[in-house]
Amino acid sequence: MTTVAAGWAIGAAFLLGALTLFAAGLDGYATARLEGSARRGAAGPLFEGARLMRQRARMTVSADALLWRIGSAGLVVTALMMVTVVPLGRWTIFDVGVGVVWFNAMDVVVWALVWLVGWGPNSAHSLVGGYRFLAHGLAYELPLMFALVAPAIAAESLRVGDVAAAQQGLWFVVWMPIAFLVYCVGVVAFAVWGPFAPALGADLAGGVGAELAGPDRLLFLAGRYALLAAGAAFAVPMFLGGGAGPVLPAWLWAVLKTVALLAGFVLLRRRLPALRPDLFMEVGWLVLLPAALVQDLLVAVIAIWRR
Amino acid sequence: MVLDVAFWALGVVAVLSGAAVFRVDSMARATYALALSFIAVGVAVLMLHQDYLGVITILMMVMEMAVMAVYMVMFMGMNPALMPMSMVHDNRRALAGAAATFVVLAAGALLVPWPARRGVPSADTTRALGESLMGPKMLAMVVVSPVMVATIVAGVVLAAHRTRYDRFGDDLRQRPADDPQRGGVGR
Amino acid sequence: MGVSEILARYAVQRAHVLVVEVPGCWSLRVALERQVLSRGWQLAESPADADVLVVCGQPGPELGELVDRVWDQLPGPRVRLGLPRIEALDGALDAIQAGLVDTANHRADARQRPATPGMDHGDMDHGDMAPHGIPLAGGGEDRDGLEMDVLHLPLGPVLRHWPAGLVLRCALQGDVVVGAQASILDGGHVATRATAAKDDARGGTNAWLCDQVCAVLSLAGWPDGAASARRVRDALIDDGSGEATRPALERLRREVFGSRLLRWSLRGVGNVAAQGRGSRELPEGVVGDVHDRLVRMLDRALAGQLATPVTVPALLDHPAALVGALPDLVTGLDLAAVRLLVASLALDTTPTREQVAHG
Repeated sequence: MTTVAAGWAIGAAFLLGALTLFAAGLDGYATARLEGSARRGAAGPLFEGARLMRQRARMTVSADALLWRIGSAGLVVTALMMVTVVPLGRWTIFDVGVGVVWFNAMDVVVWALVWLVGWGPNSAHSLVGGYRFLAHGLAYELPLMFALVAPAIAAESLRVGDVAAAQQGLWFVVWMPIAFLVYCVGVVAFAVWGPFAPALGADLAGGVGAELAGPDRLLFLAGRYALLAAGAAFAVPMFLGGGAGPVLPAWLWAVLKTVALLAGFVLLRRRLPALRPDLFMEVGWLVLLPAALVQDLLVAVIAIWRR
Repeated sequence: MVLDVAFWALGVVAVLSGAAVFRVDSMARATYALALSFIAVGVAVLMLHQDYLGVITILMMVMEMAVMAVYMVMFMGMNPALMPMSMVHDNRRALAGAAATFVVLAAGALLVPWPARRGVPSADTTRALGESLMGPKMLAMVVVSPVMVATIVAGVVLAAHRTRYDRFGDDLRQRPADDPQRGGVGR
Repeated sequence: MGVSEILARYAVQRAHVLVVEVPGCWSLRVALERQVLSRGWQLAESPADADVLVVCGQPGPELGELVDRVWDQLPGPRVRLGLPRIEALDGALDAIQAGLVDTANHRADARQRPATPGMDHGDMDHGDMAPHGIPLAGGGEDRDGLEMDVLHLPLGPVLRHWPAGLVLRCALQGDVVVGAQASILDGGHVATRATAAKDDARGGTNAWLCDQVCAVLSLAGWPDGAASARRVRDALIDDGSGEATRPALERLRREVFGSRLLRWSLRGVGNVAAQGRGSRELPEGVVGDVHDRLVRMLDRALAGQLATPVTVPALLDHPAALVGALPDLVTGLDLAAVRLLVASLALDTTPTREQVAHG
């Protein structure tokens, strides 16, 4: 694992931006295919971006502007911080020894940010949306943390490069599928996406986004796609073997795997009804958490037995 | 040099944002000023090459501040925002206590003869931390977590005013449970 | 061509339209929505999300005042249009598009708007307990025995997937409704029996039922389901009820009935008990939870297709009684359940013929 110069962070940002655009375009295409003109759907992010750039910023009465703007702009920043520890094939920007925990810390920061976007505008619908997100968070976060522990146990290291390298023989997704599943649930949930989008629900007039307009809205919506992309990118070294694969160079494999997983995440939004937070709470604590713990136990036993 | 400046700057940020907790008007701002203070401390710990401890501090504290938002609504009778509220109780005694604590801790930090370092720090500080915690103290670590969880659960059960007889009926046989909000798994 | 012109041209490809429906103008609203979606535009969820405000029908005085308040909440660039009759729809969207591109006009509009949000009576603090003129919420005990603030929130007429003209003034603790009052704007009296207005609309009752199904599925957060329901609604409007559209309706029913995740999500939500129904004069079709009523709507539409005698319990026949019973039905539910309940009741707020004649 070679550490490249910090200046390559700009390149990483561009790559994340490209993945974000891809995700948004795919979502627009999938929507437009069923509901109208398909051609325009794929160019949706371009038009939506132009519309939001042109729209004026908006302020409500007695809003907490500082916290509100921090929340809406913070999602993109968090996604960028997440990808700094994700290796592209054999190159990485920050080869920090606790990369897995760093990713986990960043996805917890999303908790704070989405709630702040709900709190800031002093609006009933936004606040209810913010609390719906926290309710989802209380249910998915612990299973996600335990799911992230499983590859670290198997690789006996918290360094993301080591986890990727430990999958030379067999990808982790094959023998720890529950951890992978719980991780995917966690990624979709912290991106406020698909079945975990009641925080932005139509029954709350847009929920957390009910009072957002203009560039703040653009940053918030782009941040969701960016978080999905960052989560998909992180799954590659953790569960999908990193850059391993025949013929093509490592970095290209990493990108292809990321794109495939990201497409899967984006396309599942339309297919599933929303999971209500009060119902999902029991599912998270009584189904996902014990499953993740059992998975960790199995992985630990195998890791000890392998030694 | 740069690291020294950064370390001192983080210390100043931590203290100032901690003080801000008592000066700002809204609970949300107080909560996130506290979060900022903890993040500054976490980054300072990172600068001491304790990677795991630093990142975990940031993780846990941000999550705790987010959960505090839930408690904010549960337990604050008045609007937890917007109005200048007095965040302090029993000012004089608290100030005296805080000043005394500061003097004692500062005196300790400055006057105690700290031992000189023996040997060099290990290459992987996380591993060293794990071994020192899990090695001789394994039993304590294994027992502490379930005890903490059991305490939290027991506290909630004791505090909730709906007992299991309310939920399951007098013969404890009624399924599904009679809850105001249905759960997802049907427990 | 300057940057702002290019930006305007791209921005207008994806305008978001906020639709205000005056009671009785369902078919006009549906026609407008179909045109909006076929252009690649979107329907806005809230005023902050909207570029265009369209009023379908001739609003009364109360609704007109509310529409003005909503218009104030749209950030610029914004365009407003009134559609009193269905004939006005031709060329309306092109006019909107031209209006959206006109940047100079929007700059002038922006200049004459206030820069900071303020209440009508200015920015004063009424003593210590009302920042910006809004009084602080009072407290009250909630269902768990905690003392929580009581917030008065009107679930207003300008909401997506909400019956036209209905205002539900809720007292909320957290997101649980502890008290409510229901009314129809502009003193409208809903019909005590199903109105003939729906049958006048093209496609009739079945298309209207599919529209309600689409509303429930959108509120349940299922985009594909809602899109299917919308497609069937459009097919029913275009081709009428008959052999051509029956397979699509059956497919929709299979899809909705077969989705186990939807059933799990909606089971027990908005439950209306069988006892007490008669005393409140509610129709039989109301009994059960949201999922039961959803399937019942589809069964009713299918029965209408087959032109068999309607054995499915009547749902649509007593909108006035349903509006009167709403406060009781809604108390104790959280906001999500309230929205699902109201959508699943398939309320038809079309005013009675006498109102229409006078208005």
